[in-house]
Amino acid sequence: MDALVIGTIIKVVLVLLIVSALAGFGTYIERKVLAFMQRRLGPTHVGPFGLLQIAADGIKLFTKEDIIPQHANKFIFSLAPVITAATAFIALSAVPLFPTFVIPESLPLIGGAIVPSVIADVNIGILFVLGMMAAGLYGPLLAGMAQANKWGILGSARTAVQFLSYEVVTGLSVLAPIMLVGSLSLIDFNSAQAGGIGSWIIWQQPVAFVLFLIAGFAETNRTPFDLLEHEAEIISGYVTEYSGLRWGMFFIGEYSNMFTVSILAAVIFCGGYGDLGFIPGSLALLLKVVFFFFLMLWVRASWPHIRPDQLMWLCWKVLMPLAVVNIVITGIVVMI
Amino acid sequence: MHEEIIHTENKPKEKQNYVMLDLGKSPEFGLPAFKQVVKRSLNGELFVGLWVTLREMAKTLFMGGKHTTKYPMEKLPISPRYRAIHNMLRLLESGHYRCIGCGLCEKICISNCIAMDTRYDENQRKEVSEYTINFGRCIYCGYCAEVCPELAIVHGGRYETASEQRASFSLFDDMLTPIDMLKQQQEFQGFGSVSPNADAAIKKTPLAY
Amino acid sequence: MFEQIAFYLFSFLTIGLFLVTVFSNNILYAMTSLAAGMVLIAGFFFLNGADFLGVVQIIVYVGAVMALYAFGMMFFNVTKVVKEKNTSNLLVLFLGVSIALLMVIMFLSPIVPEAIFASVPPEPNATNPEAVGMVLFSKYLVPFEVSAVMLLIAMIGGIILAGKKMDQSLTKIEDEIISEKDVK
Repeated sequence: MDALVIGTIIKVVLVLLIVSALAGFGTYIERKVLAFMQRRLGPTHVGPFGLLQIAADGIKLFTKEDIIPQHANKFIFSLAPVITAATAFIALSAVPLFPTFVIPESLPLIGGAIVPSVIADVNIGILFVLGMMAAGLYGPLLAGMAQANKWGILGSARTAVQFLSYEVVTGLSVLAPIMLVGSLSLIDFNSAQAGGIGSWIIWQQPVAFVLFLIAGFAETNRTPFDLLEHEAEIISGYVTEYSGLRWGMFFIGEYSNMFTVSILAAVIFCGGYGDLGFIPGSLALLLKVVFFFFLMLWVRASWPHIRPDQLMWLCWKVLMPLAVVNIVITGIVVMI
Repeated sequence: MHEEIIHTENKPKEKQNYVMLDLGKSPEFGLPAFKQVVKRSLNGELFVGLWVTLREMAKTLFMGGKHTTKYPMEKLPISPRYRAIHNMLRLLESGHYRCIGCGLCEKICISNCIAMDTRYDENQRKEVSEYTINFGRCIYCGYCAEVCPELAIVHGGRYETASEQRASFSLFDDMLTPIDMLKQQQEFQGFGSVSPNADAAIKKTPLAY
Repeated sequence: MFEQIAFYLFSFLTIGLFLVTVFSNNILYAMTSLAAGMVLIAGFFFLNGADFLGVVQIIVYVGAVMALYAFGMMFFNVTKVVKEKNTSNLLVLFLGVSIALLMVIMFLSPIVPEAIFASVPPEPNATNPEAVGMVLFSKYLVPFEVSAVMLLIAMIGGIILAGKKMDQSLTKIEDEIISEKDVK
């Protein structure tokens, strides 16, 4: 057992704990922000500013009765939420979360150890994250198919359609920045934009950035595209029959996917954890991620849903041609 | 332009302006449709939406624009015509209850929830011996208050009707104004009471024929 | 050591999952285990240092192909057990024996090591995607382009098949006209 393995295990445990806690905190922030945007108060009663609402919700979810419908396939039904949560966390393993730093010598045992910014530094980080988010579609898909409920089936059909279509846009939109940087590693992306705000890829690839954001909203099932569990049309879609902890795992998966997409947008297009003037790198990354997370909530408060046919229309007739044209132009510019 | 004047008893008369936008027919195919898509995508209407929510958030946070009423702590005033749990009123002079035991409310009640019993007391006057309202059945239509010739049964403002037992509401003595609160008893202005302009509405019986 | 543990773990899991795929009477189990097996095959690519191919395996097979199968399976009641119709035992025997033979040959082939060599030796300095790109665009350029053209043809064919009546909107046609067309 060398230091790398132990360090990786420690980082995995830390990221798991922090991100699942952040997912809970994300629900609190979402409720507060939406409330303020709609001139309400949000949670106020449990703890100061309603902060302990997360704990209350958690206790409620953990102690709720675990219901499995009579005709559902019990094994797949209980497997599906695990897939969602697991793929969301695995995707986070290839995402840089902080700048590489050295633990100070003064600390016992671990002093002087170098902590790399990524848990698993695969040299194809972007593709790995996208692939894991693609595999994450099995959570909603199997959940909908296993529960013997027509709303569930409709939800999982929408899952397949929406995720498959928008994966194309995600992939094509990050292809142009990949061509500019010449690497699939998120670390290389970060070092390519180390020169401050002026060297951010967003200035060279604004179209790709917008396309990536739109596709990211669709892949994390956020509001203009949250057709998977559209209450007004299909009850709750694939989570119709879920309750308690299993439902909570879908939620944790969704929120950690939101974090992943926020981090990806920050690292690929907005300079990642490079220092931002007087702001140190880790804080800069945190600020960017917080902004993108806020953007998701902001959009949810502002914009209405779109219809499924509009969703497909937008993907195949607008976003995909735009992405392809963007790649061709980028290719020509890179060649010249 | 479509104007509508809304008449309500308790609110001041408001004028509401609904503007119907003339969008015309939207093109479905070809270049015009494409142009429309580009125009709608790029003219920034989406950002207007974002700006509105951000502005509301700033108002809520910094200018006290919250619209929430913290219900159990704060309560909104209700209209005097609100029809909640009934009150039985007393005569202001003697303090005796106004009900004369005529039974009209029992007769008119469309959900059959009023039950009353009367008898002669020692002075051979009619007295109400039993009077209960089954609030599990009552639909708060207000017919009883309207039909009552003495304004004895009226609707009060107790709308929080959760209680441990039905008896807390439905006994005659509970609905009756407490004898020590007689001074505070207000003449009822709500459903079934004499309207404010009742005098002006009186016409002479046409006897000319 | 980790590599060996991972290899045997992946092997047993993959074989087990694919056995479930073949022997299960339940569409949902078969589909899920097939998808999970595909993910585990990606694990082998990762073990051999072919990260790029591993991720492509996940994206293409798990993310796209299997999801399309699943989409097709939504037209059936997946929670029911399927009754299999076995018409010809001879065919099963023949296929089983020939596949088993093929497996034995595949497992035995590494015994003759000089028969196995890399036709395009990997570049020592190239990263993963670069190495794949070099092979694809030098030795296998023609098959690569041909498969690209094939995919294009498939796409155009799909659009034409699906798009014959695309200019008509079903919501705008009267119900009687639709049912008349169905009769024809």
